[in-house]
Amino acid sequence: MGAAPQQVSPDQRVADFRKIFSRAESEVARVIVGHREVVRKLLTALFCGGHILIEGVPGLGKTLMVKAASETLGLSFKRIQFTPDLMPSDIIGTQVLTESDGHREFQFKEGPIFAHMVLGDEINRATPKTQSAVLEAMEEHQVTVFGTTYLLDPPYIVLATQNPIELEGTYPLPEAQMDRFIFKVVMGSPKPDELREILSRTTGTAQNKIQPLFEPARAPQSIENLKALVREVMVAEPLERYIISVIGGCTPGGPGAIPEVSQYLRFGPSPRGAQALILCAKVNALLAGRVSVGYDDIDDAIVPCLRHRLLLNFQAEAESVSSESILEQVIKRLKKPRT
Amino acid sequence: MDNPIETIGTASARIARLAAIRTMLCAIAPALTAIALGLFLEPITEVTWARYGYSLAPDRANALSLGLIGAGIVVLAAGLVMAYRAYRRANDFVAAAAELDDLLECNQEIVTFATLANPAAPESSRARRTPLFPILWRRAIALFGGLDVRREFKLEVGEPLMRSSIFAGVIAIAMVLATLGLVRASTAENREAARLRAIAEEIARSSTSSDDTALANKIRAAADALENPAMPPEEKKKRIEDAMREAKHAAEKRNISESGKNQAAGKSAAQSGKGNGKSQGQGNSSSGSGSGQGKAGTGAGQTVGGNNPGPGKGGSGNNSGKNNGGNASSKNDQNKGNQSNIELQNELAKADAQVETANAKNPGPDSKPGDDKNQGGANKPGDNQKAGGQPDPNRPGDLPKPGANGDRNIPSAGGNPKNNKDMGSNMGDTHLGEMPTSTNAQRFLKPGEKGSPIDLKDARYVMFRLPGAPTSGNGGKTILDTDRPKATTAYVNAPLAPTSDDAPPDERQLVPPRYRDMIH
Repeated sequence: MGAAPQQVSPDQRVADFRKIFSRAESEVARVIVGHREVVRKLLTALFCGGHILIEGVPGLGKTLMVKAASETLGLSFKRIQFTPDLMPSDIIGTQVLTESDGHREFQFKEGPIFAHMVLGDEINRATPKTQSAVLEAMEEHQVTVFGTTYLLDPPYIVLATQNPIELEGTYPLPEAQMDRFIFKVVMGSPKPDELREILSRTTGTAQNKIQPLFEPARAPQSIENLKALVREVMVAEPLERYIISVIGGCTPGGPGAIPEVSQYLRFGPSPRGAQALILCAKVNALLAGRVSVGYDDIDDAIVPCLRHRLLLNFQAEAESVSSESILEQVIKRLKKPRT
Repeated sequence: MDNPIETIGTASARIARLAAIRTMLCAIAPALTAIALGLFLEPITEVTWARYGYSLAPDRANALSLGLIGAGIVVLAAGLVMAYRAYRRANDFVAAAAELDDLLECNQEIVTFATLANPAAPESSRARRTPLFPILWRRAIALFGGLDVRREFKLEVGEPLMRSSIFAGVIAIAMVLATLGLVRASTAENREAARLRAIAEEIARSSTSSDDTALANKIRAAADALENPAMPPEEKKKRIEDAMREAKHAAEKRNISESGKNQAAGKSAAQSGKGNGKSQGQGNSSSGSGSGQGKAGTGAGQTVGGNNPGPGKGGSGNNSGKNNGGNASSKNDQNKGNQSNIELQNELAKADAQVETANAKNPGPDSKPGDDKNQGGANKPGDNQKAGGQPDPNRPGDLPKPGANGDRNIPSAGGNPKNNKDMGSNMGDTHLGEMPTSTNAQRFLKPGEKGSPIDLKDARYVMFRLPGAPTSGNGGKTILDTDRPKATTAYVNAPLAPTSDDAPPDERQLVPPRYRDMIH
């Protein structure tokens, strides 16, 4: 599974993708009750090569979910608890003076950011300086320490969490940094049935062991092959125009912007939003067994891809208008080009 | 296994054809409606406006008709252009793929395939194919399996026809509105002109010689002149007189030819008619013919009505006997010709009377009372007598007598009910030369005469004879001056100005205006 594209037929590659994705969901579901949509978006972000921002109150199993996903995929996992006194060097690493064979030298000590999957817990509690250190790594897939650049091994995904409460003493992520997350998913509280299942699983003696899908040595390459497959999914020109019209429709003063957008938004999504839409739609298409994107694939991706890219104005805040409601209006009103 | 590109191409061509047909269907009904309305405007007018007393002037009718036909042709041409454009627009490979996509519900797989496999697309679009494209190709083949493009894309005419009928209705409504703006209540002149045109058409239809054609043209010119408000009355009269002259000329020629045939039977009716017709034409150019005809029963008909009344008019004239005794085989044709000619001359005389009436009603700025010129060329004293064919209406013998004799003295058209047609003139039943039977004739009392007063209220026709001015003789005896100049106005033909009262035409007193003051 996940072999090189030149050795496997396209049909087999598509089938493998679906199978791996499905199995990964199932394995994560062994330890995470509910939150299937969050898990799906996590895996989608991984195969798109993006990062994900998870918003939810503490205790919902965010860390457990990321850990379970990394175990399933055979990827390395590191967790960073962001605090106000966390320094960038604490994350990316630093030069340490070492002595060997009689002479001293500085040796780079990698920080927790050097992993395939990094969980940045409560990223909004760190200072902007520290946040930016992480965000550079997210975008460039590299870190620079004392003039030396260190590449991060692919696949690389950062999963940052935000606590929507206890905002005192936090540093909300700037818009430019929010834009670097391909998705923002919101984890809600578990439903009663799910909570009962959580209690059953975590307070008993039974232990759910996760079966890795890949051997740790082959996992990165296998996942990279699957990421390449995602990018091979085809998009017709009319659908590209639709994505462009969605972006324009969400931009105040943009072409085709609906009145609500002009009324409640300060800024709309950047081109990264369009990229995120297409990549997410491609994963959706593959999961549906298709090798071309359809309008439904795009519509499914609009809210998670764009919700954190819309900057609401004061009026929207005052009227409790959410970016999700605006996006739903955009989806309803935009026409889908036929040719 | 079909090539999916060919399938999409076939669908594209079919969709384009259907789009063109639908567009054309939208245009064809309004176009045909406009053309049909334009072509059949005249019969439509006859069964609609004309029935309610409205008429559409020929020039306006022609303009409207041409406008409608032109509009129909323009709509047809526009439909063709739009159909061509619809064909071009719909003949789109990717658009056809989108249609197929919707039809087969395959989540834009066909559209994606079409954008990457469009034969008309630049090479760069094909370069966007990925290693997964073969899957898309096979998927397209599978989706098109069992697809019948002809069955899936049917020609549905319901909607375009519905739209087309709406457009056609709009055209029809526009035509009705345009016609409403153009129609006018028929005047006497309009009706008369219409009758003249009908006669002209009849003559032109049965035309056998250039004379007939010339006559028809003259009649049409007279009809046009009659309706033309801008034309001065003199000119109108001239046109009408031209037509009358032509009609008489035609009648003479016909009589000559008929007389040639009848010579074997020893009859000279045609010659008599010819002479009379000439004298009538010279002496009474406009309104005298009816008068002479009306006197046929009293003997004057021998001079005037030789070629006019004929047996078709009830047989009151002398000629009826002549013709009856003539060549039996040619009698019907001659009668028919005579009859139509009489009808024509009557109509022309009525037209002339209309002109006179209009002129009398609206005299020009320079007109003076009693100015003959402004009275439409009314008969002048002496002229009619010189003409020879015009009897003196004031002759004592001409007066209708009360009782049974009165009936005899008034020529009747009742002998042949077929000819007793009411042509719809505003002159009531007074068709020139077709005086109805007087059933209750009364006359004014002579000076000194005693008797029951006449009741003119219900009288439909009043005939006057002007008495001479009475003078007092010895012992107060009244002496009638029989040598006093007599009024020579043909009382029957005298044009009557339309009265202002609201009485229906039959109730109006058809009295010459100059004698109205005599009636109290």
